[in-house]
Amino acid sequence: MTDQTPQKKQLSQWWQWAILSILGLVVFFAPIPVRATAPTDRIIHIDARRFEYDPAILKVNQGDRVTIELVATDVVHGMAIDGYNLETTADPGKTARLIFIADQPGTFRFRCTVTCGNMHPFMTGKLEVGQNSLLWRAIAFTGLVLIAGVWLGRK
Amino acid sequence: MTRLQEIPWVEKVGLNEPAAQSQKRLQSPGRLNLYRLAWLRPLIESQWPQFLIRILTLAGFVFTIAGGLFGSLVGSHNIAIIFVWIAWWTALKLVFIPFGGRSWCSVCPIPLPGDWLQQGGVLETGRRRFGLNLRWPKRLRGSWMQSGGFLLIGLFSAVTLTDPQVTGWVLLALFGLAIGLSLVFEKRAFCTYLCPIGGFSGMYAQTSPLEVRIIEKEVCLRHDVKSCYQACPWGVYPVAFRDNSACGMCMECLRACPSDNLALNVRPFGTDLGRQKTSTRLDETFLALVMLGSVITFAAVFTGPWGWLKSAAFEIGSLSWFGYASAYLAINLLLLPAFFSMAVWAGQKFTGTWVSLKRAIATQAQVLLPLGLMAWIAFTISFALPKLSLVLGVLNDPFGWGWHLLGVTDIGRMVNTAGISMIFQMILLLVGLFWSASVSRKLSAKSEKKSPHLNLPVLAFSLIFTLAMLWLLVG
Amino acid sequence: MKKEWLARGIVALGLAIAVVIPAVGWWQQSQGIVVHAHMAETGGWTPENLTAEVGKPLHLRLTSDDVTHGFAVGQLDQPAVNVLPGEMTDITLAFDKPGKYTFYCTRWCSINHWRMRGTIEVTDPNIKVEPAKPPLYVTLGLNIDADHVTSVIYAQMPAAWRGALLNRAVPIEYTNRDYYLSHTPVDLWLALRSEPSFIDLTDKDVWDQVAWVWQSNTTPDEIQAGRELFAANCAACHGENGAGNGVFADQLAATTGNANSDTSMGAHTQRPADFTDPSHMLSVSPAHLQGKIIRGGMGTGMPYWGPVFTQDQTWALVAYLYSFQFDMEVLK
Repeated sequence: MTDQTPQKKQLSQWWQWAILSILGLVVFFAPIPVRATAPTDRIIHIDARRFEYDPAILKVNQGDRVTIELVATDVVHGMAIDGYNLETTADPGKTARLIFIADQPGTFRFRCTVTCGNMHPFMTGKLEVGQNSLLWRAIAFTGLVLIAGVWLGRK
Repeated sequence: MTRLQEIPWVEKVGLNEPAAQSQKRLQSPGRLNLYRLAWLRPLIESQWPQFLIRILTLAGFVFTIAGGLFGSLVGSHNIAIIFVWIAWWTALKLVFIPFGGRSWCSVCPIPLPGDWLQQGGVLETGRRRFGLNLRWPKRLRGSWMQSGGFLLIGLFSAVTLTDPQVTGWVLLALFGLAIGLSLVFEKRAFCTYLCPIGGFSGMYAQTSPLEVRIIEKEVCLRHDVKSCYQACPWGVYPVAFRDNSACGMCMECLRACPSDNLALNVRPFGTDLGRQKTSTRLDETFLALVMLGSVITFAAVFTGPWGWLKSAAFEIGSLSWFGYASAYLAINLLLLPAFFSMAVWAGQKFTGTWVSLKRAIATQAQVLLPLGLMAWIAFTISFALPKLSLVLGVLNDPFGWGWHLLGVTDIGRMVNTAGISMIFQMILLLVGLFWSASVSRKLSAKSEKKSPHLNLPVLAFSLIFTLAMLWLLVG
Repeated sequence: MKKEWLARGIVALGLAIAVVIPAVGWWQQSQGIVVHAHMAETGGWTPENLTAEVGKPLHLRLTSDDVTHGFAVGQLDQPAVNVLPGEMTDITLAFDKPGKYTFYCTRWCSINHWRMRGTIEVTDPNIKVEPAKPPLYVTLGLNIDADHVTSVIYAQMPAAWRGALLNRAVPIEYTNRDYYLSHTPVDLWLALRSEPSFIDLTDKDVWDQVAWVWQSNTTPDEIQAGRELFAANCAACHGENGAGNGVFADQLAATTGNANSDTSMGAHTQRPADFTDPSHMLSVSPAHLQGKIIRGGMGTGMPYWGPVFTQDQTWALVAYLYSFQFDMEVLK
């Protein structure tokens, strides 16, 4: 490495950046293989209490018609799903329903929308629709970034 | 009096020295001295702009304490919770620290009464001064107590972050403590040795693009009065600065230097990182690890979907809380230090280098700084962004008493930014890993061996941490 | 020197503003009546007892210190308002008649939500207060705590519309309101079973006839009103479908006969009644149900709604409760 001429070094550096960039684009745009599943109807019953949802992690397939039945078991709670822009409020004794088609894939957090006590701002759960492509791409990027960090910029 | 010599990225000329200013200590790209900018200098040179900002923060601080103690008990509608833990915390993590290092310390209201009492005046030193001016005990030096303070806050965080009265009392206690310590010890004892915010601000300040440094060393060597040291409320000696961790960015030394030999430089990010450490002090390493352990714990507790974990953190005194506390302390006091030390030791073994283990750990700890900084920024975004509309609500009605200061009667929730927010968090974590790996590479290149090897175990540590944070925030 | 005094002046000004604004706000608050809402376990309403005068409007500011609550005054024609955490709700109450009114929480805030009540003592110097009339079950001498398992149960859920299709003339002694209020469905079935003109009807037909009589004593509007009252006040314990399986049912059942029970609810609460169970529902009269609703369950965990519901509201609720036993839909 030390006896490369400056031009050669610059060229090889350029190639390294180019390869990394191409790999980066591949990671960014590559389609994540999805097991083709026919969309089904799902009814998910969620008990809400201070300060958790039960269940808090929901898994559905992309395209499913999802009905969420939110039952508040102690005080008035709410539920808003990031990304899907859906919201509802449930009083104890009055089940609230959210009916929607899970057309966007990914992992979406949902959070409580009615102040239900101290830890209300942190009352969250997550809805997993299909594959969490963001996470897989992030992990792949992690590898690329690590290589870039140590490989490039060497003297 | 000020010559405007705006040749960017080239050495600046000192006022009384015809010779070119040189930064011989560091072989890095040049600096831009903000103190020489004609439009900026008067704002720094005069005490008034900074003073007015400080009065603003002081009044805000007192107002916030009043809100916490007397306002609504509902945290989301009380200025104490929203302003301290959402607004100010976000500003601190996203602006003050990454771009200004310890810049919050420059306008922080907590040390002000102590400073005023110590110097006997608000802007000018007075005849009657208060305080015993004792030296801080040698055994209590370092950032150990600041790390301890942060761990303490972490143990009770679920309540502190959500109960306005607790926040009010905590702020009042810190205020009282700072004033009390200023009356006993010299300079800013609270800020230097106790304040947890100061602890990690100083540590992460080493990555920031702003620094205060002398311009020409010979000028200082010939100066016997050392007015910069006399003027510094922190009691540090700017001439000896090797990194940013001790400087509170208060600009007093710049104002005091008769030769205008101190500069407020803009520099590349992370300039202080990558040097072999000569001391064997491990306090900074410990703090770096505590910050990593804490961000992982808080990401799991606060932004995770696990209700049992939240309840455990919240029900202080219960059996489950003791479980949470034990786990939190075990991670920060045992697991992370053990894993990191093992990684450093293994790295040394594989690359065949050998310096004292303590020195090696202190040196390798620099790899953790960009990692922690970025992780904290990402975590702050994950919990603060969905709640920014609460800031508007609290400006409208700070105490939850039904006021309408902004004339707003109904505040809708924030526009949905969830998608961008997650991508942003991912990018920040990746930047942190890249930066951390670069620092590691820099350290390996500087080692004594002729063909330097990468420190794979330490890189693995950073990688595992990044994957864990990614899974918690984005997964 | 001047600089120093100017600086000190600015400090004083800043601190003054920071302190005066909250102080003024605090003083302003103390001028009016601010009612703080807490869950019953942590204090309920503060203050709990208010006074007012007939003809003088009562201004209240309501806020919650923990979760979502609501506010309404029993026996007063005033819509309920939400009492939200950290927010102020302004309300003005006007009273025509003197008496002791009960205000109560209208959004479920814990298992003891119904205990979150306070009183407003309304006086009028001119009018003398008349004593209240005793409720029907007292006049009838009913023991509403006695066990009441029915002797006869239908095989299939009776339907009022089928009863209507039978097109039989039911004697007027059985269709008037007084009979309805004071008799149980089983009473009516036994009476109709032994009626000579109904000898040819099957047992099932007679049950349909009973359902029809029950339906003729109410209206779809009344049942709808009862449905809404049930959803807001009863479903949390009795279940949305009246089966005694509401979200708090398990907690109430857990203390039955348990010496270590949580005494915050009363020593021996029991599982809420199952309105879909014919073995008990068929042998209660409307007066009996009204009594239970008004008086509550004497430590069983059943709240007493007397001060809260008007007479009309209570009868509407009673009518709705029978819809768990009889299909009382009006076919068009």
